[in-house]
Amino acid sequence: MSGRWKLLGAVLVTVLMAAGPAAAQVKIKLWHAMGGARYDAITKEISAGFNKLHPEYVIEPLFSGSYAETVTKGIAAIRAGDPPHILQVYEVGTQTMLDSGAFIPVTEVVKPGEIKWEDYFAPIMNYYTVGGKLSSMPFNSSTAILYYNKDAFKKAGLDPEKPPATYKDVEEMGRKILASGAARGVITFGWPAWMFEQAFAYHNQLYANNENGRKGRATQILFNGPFGVEVLTRWKKWADEKLLMYGGREYAPNKAFLSGEVAMLLQSTSQVTTIEKAAKFPVGTGFLPHLEGKPQGKSVIGGASLWVLKGKGRSPQELDAIAKFFKYIGQPEQSAKWHQDTGYFPATHASEKLLRDEGWFKKNPNHETAFKQIQAGPDTPATRGVLLGSFVQIRNITDTALEKTFSGKLSPQATLDEATQEVNKVLEEYNRLQK
Amino acid sequence: MEGRFPNRTLPYALVLPSIAIVAIFLILPSLQALYLSFFEVSPFGNRRIFVGLGNFREILTSDSYRSSLRLSLVFAVAVVVLSMSVSLGMAVLASKPLRGIGFYRTLLLWPYALSPAVAGIVWALLFEPSSGLMTYLLRLTTGLSPNWMMNANYALLVIILAAAWKMLGFNIVFFLAGLQNIPDEMVEAAQMDGASRRQTFWRVIFPILSPMTFFLFIMNSLYAFFEVFGLIDVMTQGGPGGGTEVLIYRLYQDGFISIRWGYASAQSIVLFILVSALTTLQFRYAGRRVFYA
Repeated sequence: MSGRWKLLGAVLVTVLMAAGPAAAQVKIKLWHAMGGARYDAITKEISAGFNKLHPEYVIEPLFSGSYAETVTKGIAAIRAGDPPHILQVYEVGTQTMLDSGAFIPVTEVVKPGEIKWEDYFAPIMNYYTVGGKLSSMPFNSSTAILYYNKDAFKKAGLDPEKPPATYKDVEEMGRKILASGAARGVITFGWPAWMFEQAFAYHNQLYANNENGRKGRATQILFNGPFGVEVLTRWKKWADEKLLMYGGREYAPNKAFLSGEVAMLLQSTSQVTTIEKAAKFPVGTGFLPHLEGKPQGKSVIGGASLWVLKGKGRSPQELDAIAKFFKYIGQPEQSAKWHQDTGYFPATHASEKLLRDEGWFKKNPNHETAFKQIQAGPDTPATRGVLLGSFVQIRNITDTALEKTFSGKLSPQATLDEATQEVNKVLEEYNRLQK
Repeated sequence: MEGRFPNRTLPYALVLPSIAIVAIFLILPSLQALYLSFFEVSPFGNRRIFVGLGNFREILTSDSYRSSLRLSLVFAVAVVVLSMSVSLGMAVLASKPLRGIGFYRTLLLWPYALSPAVAGIVWALLFEPSSGLMTYLLRLTTGLSPNWMMNANYALLVIILAAAWKMLGFNIVFFLAGLQNIPDEMVEAAQMDGASRRQTFWRVIFPILSPMTFFLFIMNSLYAFFEVFGLIDVMTQGGPGGGTEVLIYRLYQDGFISIRWGYASAQSIVLFILVSALTTLQFRYAGRRVFYA
């Protein structure tokens, strides 16, 4: 006991010395998964900036590992009854969080009119609005785009300003790249299961039943239909031709691209800043390649949102601090800075306008690619993003299934059939445990 | 025991702390796992459905669990054999009076001092498919450029090498201690009797070393089953395509990533039974061959 008092005393003294007379500071714990360039952006820019502006409140960001680990830790903390005030949950955890009963909807934390929701970009709002209700605060939204090595394109005799537009382009340009020795591999991608989801949305195909789980809980995954098999068969063909150099999950494949070994990379836009900084060659970006003869959809939103967790109840001051913080991150200046530091979308029209007025996109065209891409397609159930219970596990199953095909263990149809069976069982178990 | 405690409660009071620790951190959680293994539990723990032996049935009928089990056995055998034979050889070399032997011995110990995560990162960097040093050397010498992110067998091989390497230091220390405990007279006597060096080693030294070998055999088996999580998590995350998903990693995936508490608890029970059985077998069959001098 006395040790604890001593510690408390030490903390108090430190706080008092740091903050002067503001003794009764309200601390808000924020658990996040922002590594790399994003770590500095969320700690040194956003949190520190807010704390300076509101000396009575302290946002305490804590890096909690990967997205999946952050969700898991959050869930463990909820079960233990002492969760952080704010938990960053990636889009995949949305359905699980919605079913948790452990959160306070953002629309209750923020008073009506305090944040202009209508100024937020429609694709972002569409993703996080479920059943007409917004539950979490949209924060870091990304999508997938194509990155390419302009030097390698030049060396292969290709136009360095013209990225491939279709799967066929990838193959034809790829063969030239291999033949010329400009790179040892042509394409690789991060987040393989997410890229598979992207392929569905990008060609306006449903990934799960009940309109991707938005009309009611999804009970069946649809990826072993003809479309999914066709996409995976093409990818497998790339692997067989040594065009595709599979590089693992999440951000691991960035290395192959940055070292110049592979000429193209499909990756989240959250990496634009990181990749531009780390590459020793000029980086170009383009839309995701299109599969010939398939309808036009739209790439889907990824990234994460911020959930306010109930815990054992939150005081009015705490709620006020959170509301002010949410308002702060939605301000045009903050949102624009966050975009510049990372590559995530500036969340609002006002922040986009600010960036345009600054001439930012002219100087940094790679930061604009995702923008153009996400506004280029129709808004349909297939392009609003998939909602699934136990989605973390389903992503894992899907990644494993894709790898089984790439390594030649199973054919595209067989691997997707197997995974479908497994996923449907997971959904069944999840749905059985709800309601 | 010669001495007796003056009163009856003191001895119990003295062992109480350790019993409490064992009970709180080992026995209670195990019982809880046993209890949970009969349920399907929602991620937030707010709802559970009794399923009886359903989780166990799922484990025993699952193809992927069976392949995971096979993989674990292959992995364990490979790691134990590789790590123990190499370290025995090195320990024999390190027991020779060489100049600067202290320096070599220190170096040999190093791998054990690294945390699994650090070791994993080092090996992952060495074999990184696009820019790893080993990948480069392999390409230079053989013309092959294997990609362990795509080739499951190669991934397994790399993990086995890394896991065996990680255990080297530990094994060498114990073998070395065992070797140094062998009285010189015994070796000399064997040589006097005209035994060749090979005979001296296999007929005299190796049998005397057998208690140590048996101990290490158990330790290495436990290591290969239970303690490789860190390496695998850093290097392959069980991939590609489940190619390195040994039982312990699978348990982590199902329990902590997929948050299927019930199913994961059942797995831990199965794993517990498997390893107890294995250890019993080892004591029964390998233990008999041990020669306690």
